[in-house]
Amino acid sequence: MRKAFIVLSFIFALLGIVFVILPMGTLGFLPVGLSLLFGGLAFVKSEAADRSVPKYLLMVGGVLLLAVIVRVMMPDEVAKDTEMEQHKIESKQEDLKDLEELEAQ
Amino acid sequence: MKKFLFMASALLLFAQNGQSQAVKAGEKLTYSASYNMSGLMTPLAQVTMETESVSTSKSTLLHLICEANTFSKWDSFFKIRDSYESYVNPTTLKSTLYKREILEGTYTKKEKYIFKNGTIECTVNKKNTPESRRAFRIRPGTQDVVATLYQVRNIDFSKMKPGQTKSFIVVFDEKEMSATVKYMGKETINAGPLGSKSCYKVSVGAKTDKLRGTDKNLIWLTADNKKVPALIKFSIPVGTGQLALTNAKGI
Repeated sequence: MRKAFIVLSFIFALLGIVFVILPMGTLGFLPVGLSLLFGGLAFVKSEAADRSVPKYLLMVGGVLLLAVIVRVMMPDEVAKDTEMEQHKIESKQEDLKDLEELEAQ
Repeated sequence: MKKFLFMASALLLFAQNGQSQAVKAGEKLTYSASYNMSGLMTPLAQVTMETESVSTSKSTLLHLICEANTFSKWDSFFKIRDSYESYVNPTTLKSTLYKREILEGTYTKKEKYIFKNGTIECTVNKKNTPESRRAFRIRPGTQDVVATLYQVRNIDFSKMKPGQTKSFIVVFDEKEMSATVKYMGKETINAGPLGSKSCYKVSVGAKTDKLRGTDKNLIWLTADNKKVPALIKFSIPVGTGQLALTNAKGI
């Protein structure tokens, strides 16, 4: 059972890393939470002298949890797109030309 | 995701003939569009709805602009820059010119509709496809998506009873489409920067495969003379999501 918890904790930690890299927002809490849960269970099931692996997994989980929190706290912004802004200006001029033509008909 | 962002920016598709009461130039509404991933709302994009006054040599028109832009953190994975624009009569909100520009990942599409004497002259440019031009007749009262998006705010919901509906005709993707708005009653919700607001709850239905379920596409409009869309929830074939108001200027 201890080994199963360690494997599960490890898999969810890997998934947590992927979710932290990808902009998954609060969804990142899911694998990280599960990694911590299984890491904790592995820690409880381990003998006192055999707790190093679960301890490392819990540490990794903790770091990932912090990373997810930081990512969630970061404000959502839209990048300034100068090319798009220029396109909008040109497009509006073209629209006005179309509207003038339409009114002239 | 394409369908999601389309719906996010074009959910309010419904027309009504009448005077413009709730909409004026200089208004800018900003929304955060989130998609439901495993039960958690994940913010994907910013949707803005903006109005401005535009003058030609003979008249003054209202320029309605709806844009959907992915947040910068998503741009490297799937960049979206969609815009839907309409030039309308400021009093009747009747469409004159409608434009749609889609940039979703590597997919691009541009549409231009000119409304003239009961017909639409449309020009469509799709990626890797030659430009197509055609004209087609439309029924009286047919409007583009953006104009109807604003016209729904002129409906007097205070005179409607819960369950009462209104039918409309909208043109989208070179086709006319029947749609309905059902008034579902009043609810008080958190309207972001507007605080806690009493709102008209409205269900949207359309004869299209882009919307899923009954009474699952909902709009909450503030129950005042502005009728600001404070919250929009949608259900489409690829999932569910919502648009939450994050900023409101010029209302």
